[in-house]
Amino acid sequence: MVYVKWTFLTLLALLVFSFFHYTLPQHDIVRIADTYEKRIDPGGNALFWAEPPVGAARTANRDVFFIQAIRPNGRPIVYRNEDTGWGWPPYFKLDTSNLQAEATDLKSTKGNPQWVSVTHYGWRSEFLSIYPNAVGVRPVEGPDVRLFPWVNIIILSLIGLALLFLWRVWAQFRERTIDPLLEDVEETWDEVDERADAARDRARGLWRRLTDWLGRK
Amino acid sequence: MVAFIRLAAVGLVVLTVIYVMVSLYSRSVRREKLEGWAEERIAEGRLEEGDRDAFIEEGMRDYEHSLRKKLILGVYVVPVIVVIILVYVTNFM
Repeated sequence: MVYVKWTFLTLLALLVFSFFHYTLPQHDIVRIADTYEKRIDPGGNALFWAEPPVGAARTANRDVFFIQAIRPNGRPIVYRNEDTGWGWPPYFKLDTSNLQAEATDLKSTKGNPQWVSVTHYGWRSEFLSIYPNAVGVRPVEGPDVRLFPWVNIIILSLIGLALLFLWRVWAQFRERTIDPLLEDVEETWDEVDERADAARDRARGLWRRLTDWLGRK
Repeated sequence: MVAFIRLAAVGLVVLTVIYVMVSLYSRSVRREKLEGWAEERIAEGRLEEGDRDAFIEEGMRDYEHSLRKKLILGVYVVPVIVVIILVYVTNFM
């Protein structure tokens, strides 16, 4: 039973962590090598692709922008560039085409690199053919720039505060509404119990009188 | 357009749930405080035991017209402002 409990809790923690790791913004320092556009037919991995852009029709396949980049350690990373629109995750990104123009403008060669910070969410997985979605791009000084994750700290703090508040609301509700109700039920139950006792005594009395009466005959 | 309407509809439902929850909580906390104040006043001899309920009811009536209660409407206002700011920051900054 202990194993079941811990397995369950570990899975839950993993799920919560993955959710935030996927959804919250991250910054990568990369060099943009090229940008391109490719037709995509989301299938089993549709969950990791965005909805069609705002105002567009829902079709089986569509063209998606991509940004090819190289990390400072020389390894490649490819981002997709899609609108999140009014859906999930709530980035409200509507400027996909503009972002593609900016990214293309920041293209550079290996010999003369222009390092940029790509803000993105999501994961790259070769097995699922999924790509992180780029949300913003801006030039930075060099490959060693470290960006402090203010946004993530603020978002997580707000979620923490919301949970704390929810817990306070629940405690107040229990103290003021559920506990008095339970007390009421207990009192009522006691009364019922007493009445049952009294009724039993009365019934016993009746029975004794009956047997006495029968015995006299 | 469909996505926007869906966001608005889901948002309205979620925010209404939060609004109801927060107002019930706030009212409950206020009543608890009033009960405490009534207790104190009775202990100090400034309030008759028989006037306790009237004191609490009057306090609750004051609460219904208070700024605090109106501030809870911020539950609807703040997320809309946040979304507008996010749209600006993500797309136009």
